[in-house]
Amino acid sequence: MEITKFMKKLSSHKGVSDVALIRDNVVKLDLGKEDSKDFFISLKEDYGFEHCSLISAIDNQPQFELVYHFSVIEGSIFIKDSPKTVMIEIHIFLERDTPTIESVSDLWFGANWHEREAYDLMGIYFLGHPDLRRVLLPEGFAGHPLRKDYVYEIHEEEW
Amino acid sequence: MSLFSFCRWMAEWTANYMLIPVFDFQKNLFPPFSHPAGTIADWLGTDGGLDTLAWTFAVNIAFAIGMTNLILVIHLERKIAARIQDRRGPMLSFRSFRELGEDLAGEAPSWRFKDNYSGIGILQNMADGIKAITKELIVPAKADKFLFTMGPIIFISSSVFLLVLFPLSDRFAASSAPAGLMVIMAAFSIAPIGVLTSGWASNNKYSMIGGMRSAAQLMSYEIPLLLSMAGVFLLAGSFDPVTIVEQQQEGTWLFGLPMWNFIPQFLGFIVFMICILAEVERVPFDLPEAEAELVEGWTTEYSGIRYMLFLAAEYIRGFAGAAVCTILFLGGWAGPWPIPPEIWFLSKVYLILIFWIFIRWTVPRIRTDQILELGWKKLLPLSLINILIVIFMVEIYPYFSDIVNLPEVF
Amino acid sequence: MAEMWISMGPQHPMTHGLWTLKVKVDGETIVDADPELGYLHRSVEKMGERRKYFMNTTLTDRLCYASSTTWTHCYALSVEELMGVEVPQRAQYIRTIMLELQRLASHLMWAGAYMPDLGHITGALYFWRDRELFLNLLELPSGSRLLYNYIRIGGVKRDLPDGFEEKTERILKLFEQRLDEYADLFENSKIFRMRTEDVGNFTASQAMNLGITGPNLRGCGTKFDLRKQDSYEIYDEIDWEIQTREAGPGYGDCFSRYMVRIDEMKESVKIIRECFKKMPAGPTMASKVPIRASGDAFRRTEDSRGEALMYLVGDGSDRPYRWKIKSPMFTTISACPHYLKGYKVADIPSIMGSIDICIGETDK
Repeated sequence: MEITKFMKKLSSHKGVSDVALIRDNVVKLDLGKEDSKDFFISLKEDYGFEHCSLISAIDNQPQFELVYHFSVIEGSIFIKDSPKTVMIEIHIFLERDTPTIESVSDLWFGANWHEREAYDLMGIYFLGHPDLRRVLLPEGFAGHPLRKDYVYEIHEEEW
Repeated sequence: MSLFSFCRWMAEWTANYMLIPVFDFQKNLFPPFSHPAGTIADWLGTDGGLDTLAWTFAVNIAFAIGMTNLILVIHLERKIAARIQDRRGPMLSFRSFRELGEDLAGEAPSWRFKDNYSGIGILQNMADGIKAITKELIVPAKADKFLFTMGPIIFISSSVFLLVLFPLSDRFAASSAPAGLMVIMAAFSIAPIGVLTSGWASNNKYSMIGGMRSAAQLMSYEIPLLLSMAGVFLLAGSFDPVTIVEQQQEGTWLFGLPMWNFIPQFLGFIVFMICILAEVERVPFDLPEAEAELVEGWTTEYSGIRYMLFLAAEYIRGFAGAAVCTILFLGGWAGPWPIPPEIWFLSKVYLILIFWIFIRWTVPRIRTDQILELGWKKLLPLSLINILIVIFMVEIYPYFSDIVNLPEVF
Repeated sequence: MAEMWISMGPQHPMTHGLWTLKVKVDGETIVDADPELGYLHRSVEKMGERRKYFMNTTLTDRLCYASSTTWTHCYALSVEELMGVEVPQRAQYIRTIMLELQRLASHLMWAGAYMPDLGHITGALYFWRDRELFLNLLELPSGSRLLYNYIRIGGVKRDLPDGFEEKTERILKLFEQRLDEYADLFENSKIFRMRTEDVGNFTASQAMNLGITGPNLRGCGTKFDLRKQDSYEIYDEIDWEIQTREAGPGYGDCFSRYMVRIDEMKESVKIIRECFKKMPAGPTMASKVPIRASGDAFRRTEDSRGEALMYLVGDGSDRPYRWKIKSPMFTTISACPHYLKGYKVADIPSIMGSIDICIGETDK
């Protein structure tokens, strides 16, 4: 599947908006939170994105933003006359009061610890995650330090 | 003059000029020491007393020679390992003492800027020993204290015991038993019990796995080891080291060279060399203390001089293993005349040790299941084939050569 | 013996850093594993939000102690993408040379650390001796031996010193000879192959799903190298091949991972030679580098251990608003229960060593 055709197909999915090509092999789009799981399933099953590169959480004050990077390794999407492989960048916005989203670690095991890290440092809750514990900070650490409203002094004694 | 007659002469001299006068003097000083059945001085005058004293001397001499060799072997290992690894090994030991001496004498440290300075590297062993003695002997809080202390005693004493069991030549032997090699192998096999004991008593999972591995390893190599030795015993018809070595001098092969056992029993020699490596727990068979996965295996919880003695005992076992190999397969102390047989024996032992050091520093460690597979599937059949060959040589070929007049080969 | 949990680490010869691997063993067979991280967490991402863009190169240097240039380069590339900076041609060539030298040093560091895992101390000293050669080379332009801080946003710190090419050529020639010598000691050695072959197997499709990239994925026979697949600097102008190796149809073991890295080192030597041949003259720093940025951008590069990705968000100030680092080892370690299960305790160092752990980048 050529990348331009792939982009056209993406727009037809529910919840997808602002599909754009930000580099010759990177597609960027925004995704609604409710439709995320269905989209991710079809991303893996239909388009062959085998690899979850990164899940980053951003505190945009007030809402949170999740940025997913998925990449094709041997999949069917290609770019004409180029050995480059395709990547997709997905932005999902979460409300500050309900920073929850469905986990994708059952689709890509590589997402497992990225989600744990996002929970650990930013306090995003991934529903259906098999083992949502802190990964970099010790158990019992209070607060999520990468949030912009995190103040260290408050939590110092608790920990 | 044999070692025993020398010791007997020494015992007589000591008894006559040093011990008897002292005990007699003591008897006069303290009447209660005199006993109607006879005093120590009386006993020393008899043949039995002198023999006992002579054996004590002989054992001590053998022990001293073994310990000297231990230091040499450790130094050799360090030096050869260093050369293999593109290093120099221990060159300067007690450097700080020397520096201190020069400081106290008010001189500038002279050695520091000389590029050709060489110290006495072999003293590194002394430095290590002193360091180990000064360390605390730690016993873990939840360890089984009795067994934790017994483990090293079993391991080290059975290893040191080995030193007096093998002869350096037919005249230089601290012990002579008709079943000499059986006693040596029995003493070899005590150590895994010590390993298992200390591994279990440490109350540490790494130690326990190390001890278990030692037991598993024992099961895999001990049988092919003894079977490969059986060929030699069949050929010599004896367990006595002296008889075995003498038997090896009988036959000849190319250019009139003596046919030592490693030529007709090549299979047995290979099996024995592999199994004795496993017996003395050197790389590639040092599974019980595999430092990559088990930290230090069964020695993890030991500290100070106990740990150092474990290391020393392993080298003693290595030395004893090489000596057994020399007796069985390399013609023991036999060699051309001008060099004394003891030197021949030791040089063969060192040849094997150097070969082992090369192996140790050039191959990785193998796995527990692999050593079991090696022992049961490869070494055991090979050693059985070796025994068949020996039986053919000793029994079947002579029988038929008598009947049909075959040439005498064996 | 009943099933029990063994805690390996944080201080353990197998760990190559500070982390804990809890393994559940049944006798000597591994039933389950649970890796734990965080002992080396220095909160690089949080620190980066307080520092200006150009200051962060010192932090990225310290991400991985074995391969610091590649991480600084990944950061510089991402910031250049964010700011829209064009890097001069000569600087790109110099960067490529430095990256490949760093890759050689990193792979040699790995090989040296892998050998003691198998009980082969001599191998460590051989490979680390050779690593010294490349550290000396890296020292010439950058001035330091471990944390170079040589690649800057918009180019490199300074031009290569005089005689660098001749020195490099001499060392590369020596290194090629030595690699051929080592073949007898390692890959042709029966015991080495017994310990590494058919151990730690995973298939390519498993590896992609588990998030394993880099030499570990190429050890399964997959031709995936970001130097080609997402080409940066001048890798597309140079003639080189992606090195792959597989133990069987579509799966890799420790030995194939070892061989991939050895082949990659040979390939790196080729790349460096060709770079010197094609290197143009010119400036080594972009004429204008802004200090403020807005928007978001990311670049991914082929680190010595796999896919490195940095995602940067700027809010128009001179400091990054959010800086996210993807470390290849983070996901690879997370997947270790999958490729440890069923093997023996003695295989743990063999497997965990073969995937080339660097805890500095993992814990960030």
